[in-house]
Amino acid sequence: MIESDAVADDVRMCAACPKMCRHVCPTFFAWRSDAPTPHGRALLLHQEFVGTRDIDARGVEVLYQCLECSHCLTWCKPEIDIAKIVELKREELVKTNQQPDAISRLVSLVNETHNPFGEKHAHRNDWLRNREAKGPKLLYFTGCTAAYREKSIAQDTISLLELIGYSLEVMPDEWCCGSPLFRTGNVESGLELARHNAELLNQISAEIILVTCPGCYRALVSDYPNRGIKLNKPVQHISEFLSESSKKLPKVKLDGLVTYHDPCHLGRHSSIFDAPRDVIARVSGSSVTEMEKNKENAMCCGNGAGLRTLFPTHAKKIGAERIQHAKVVRARYLVTSCPFCKNMLASQSENGVIVLDLPELIMMEEKKDQYDKTD
Amino acid sequence: MLDEKAKKKALERISKIVGPEYITLNETDRILNAHDAWPLSEAKIRAGEILPLADLVVFPGSVGEISKILVVANDMKLPVTPVGGGAGTCGGTLPIFGGIQLDLKRLNRILEIDHASMLVRVEAGVVGIDLEEEVNRYGYTTGHTPTSLRASNIGGFIATRSGGSMSSLYGKIEDLTLGLQFVLPDGSIIESKAVPRHSVGPDLRQLIIGSEGTLGVITEATLRLFPIPEERRFRSVSFPDIHSGLEAIRKIFRAGILPSVVRLYDPEDAALSFSMHFDFEEGHCMLLLAFDGALEKVKIDEEKSVQICLDEGGCDQGVGPSKRWWEHRYDMYYPTRLTTSGYSIGDTIDIVATYDKLENVYYAMKEAMEAEDAVVMSHFSHMYPNGGSIYMIFFTSQPDAETAWATYKRIWDAGIASCLREGGTMSHQHGVGLSRSTYTENELGSAFDVLKKIKRVLDPNGIMNPGKLGLGVRE
Repeated sequence: MIESDAVADDVRMCAACPKMCRHVCPTFFAWRSDAPTPHGRALLLHQEFVGTRDIDARGVEVLYQCLECSHCLTWCKPEIDIAKIVELKREELVKTNQQPDAISRLVSLVNETHNPFGEKHAHRNDWLRNREAKGPKLLYFTGCTAAYREKSIAQDTISLLELIGYSLEVMPDEWCCGSPLFRTGNVESGLELARHNAELLNQISAEIILVTCPGCYRALVSDYPNRGIKLNKPVQHISEFLSESSKKLPKVKLDGLVTYHDPCHLGRHSSIFDAPRDVIARVSGSSVTEMEKNKENAMCCGNGAGLRTLFPTHAKKIGAERIQHAKVVRARYLVTSCPFCKNMLASQSENGVIVLDLPELIMMEEKKDQYDKTD
Repeated sequence: MLDEKAKKKALERISKIVGPEYITLNETDRILNAHDAWPLSEAKIRAGEILPLADLVVFPGSVGEISKILVVANDMKLPVTPVGGGAGTCGGTLPIFGGIQLDLKRLNRILEIDHASMLVRVEAGVVGIDLEEEVNRYGYTTGHTPTSLRASNIGGFIATRSGGSMSSLYGKIEDLTLGLQFVLPDGSIIESKAVPRHSVGPDLRQLIIGSEGTLGVITEATLRLFPIPEERRFRSVSFPDIHSGLEAIRKIFRAGILPSVVRLYDPEDAALSFSMHFDFEEGHCMLLLAFDGALEKVKIDEEKSVQICLDEGGCDQGVGPSKRWWEHRYDMYYPTRLTTSGYSIGDTIDIVATYDKLENVYYAMKEAMEAEDAVVMSHFSHMYPNGGSIYMIFFTSQPDAETAWATYKRIWDAGIASCLREGGTMSHQHGVGLSRSTYTENELGSAFDVLKKIKRVLDPNGIMNPGKLGLGVRE
């Protein structure tokens, strides 16, 4: 049992709250039911703790109808982090073989192919183009989404950093960072990946490890060290790195307003809010047009913590709503700094809102030049 | 509760109407969706109790579906408990006789803003804050801002005859609701046209507003809108006693001024709410005022009001306490470790009375409730030219659940008895629900018989929210 006095006190209070955060819960938005809500999750756990009722199969499902986005925490005066508690409970469900089948299949897939998409590991670095860069060496931990689903993010990241004077190395045998497994309670499987990655990362000589995926970032800077796996060089998210190098960045001409979507892992979970905005302002020459829900109050894209695997229709409904938020402020460009968010948001964007990851935005002009030259 | 055969039959018939994904018999779903915001429900949840459950929870997606569901329920004589946000504080949405929990959260569309008439047409399941934010985008406010705004739905506002914290200026929900769509227990869909007023017989809207789901299901409303005020100013004044504070309020209204916020905190509530942040004389009350409107008008209203307060013995406390309350107005709604520890339970008895009776009601209720082991603190809010409401807030902590629930009931009984004895009315804005259902007859007197007759005509099978408002109590 995950029960400790602190957790028991927290779920007891949350379970009986008059729903002060429900209005921002993306799964409440998607289902319009009181079950997949922070107080619904807390009530399940509270009733189990006090011995009123065990968590049944539907209860397990409810605990996996959570994006672990922690948006509720922004609105919680007693500061109860239900996402964290849900994740702890998921660990327990995994240990007792109660996790949903689709999540078990996801774990098997990651174990077999080292990525959650079931793509061939041998093709992981297929996106990589031949290059001859010089300059200080950075180690780019690509992440599965950029490697398999959003290859232009990985390619633009390399091109951009080379353009501003760095050379990038990519691990020949990078595995999934483990984030999807940590978030769904599969810690032991996640740690196997972590140990493999850490061993390789520590062998390669570079100034820093650079990541474009906030899920990878959180895994490498929090999950790994919290579970005793040390990395011998600093980890930086691309937005932070570019913010520090902003004077070198090329300019982009935009034919409309640009807004920014805060990825949950980068924003609320890692407190990186300003760096991507600074970069956008620097390269575009104008500040981000903020969506009404931004920074600590940003809505999740719907893609996190296994939700899209288990409930794709509901996950996409959340992504589509986030696109609407961008439309409300008349944004032409919706920029994020997360391949996973970008993938979801782009899938739900209709004509009118162009969804880009940060390196893609910055390289737009350069690529246009390349196309122009080709023409 | 329904037997298995009836449950199966109801499931089969209603599934055909809403689709199988929008109806559930699952116990976990029934438990998680039974959750309301009645402090007694919350205390029972903390104590590990399970709240009364429906046999089926149904999530209809349109008024047409609701109409068909009610036809089935009427035919099978199934209890139907409509639920909006589940944010009611009186147990009005607890399905105490089982049956169908009719959850309206999927009716969440904001249909139309009429800029010329300053009206918005909205479905019943829209959350209050979502509507307010949407109309804000067009430069309007609904003027209806209860503390539960983030959790309560439009249908719930209307069903409970609610009032927002700025009701002194903008009005209560019965003033704000111009048009209404509702479904009667026989499935007929009734439209009450949105007009500023009419003289075509009695106003049917007003029968449905406050009916708490006992006469039918509210599905859509047309609400008034106001331009977001050019200026909102806050001012605070302390008073040596309740009497002088109430006199100041009475005279402000008498001078023709309608502040948007008028809240007079008694010494206990003033000490708890403001003494840690502001320096004012111990034992004093605190009056919070806000003024909305055009800058020039607001300036004049504020100056005149402050002068009236000073003439009544008030001491100007500036912007601070009033603005702080505004900025933290939702905070008191959150649970705290103190108020939820052990078998603690707190609640608010919101009553209303005319000025000639307000003070007597206040002192009588406070004395009676304190005699039942309650810590009591109060504020007068939602004030009007002819009187206003008192928030009698109480708190008790007992060694076990049985004693706590019994003490809670005794405090309520004592408070309401003294309110009625002194000429007050037992609910200003929270409704009746379950917590006050046993007092309805005493409150309404001969009018209660009329209400019962109306109920019998509109709902002959007694299916609609039985047991609430003191109507349709079953064996």
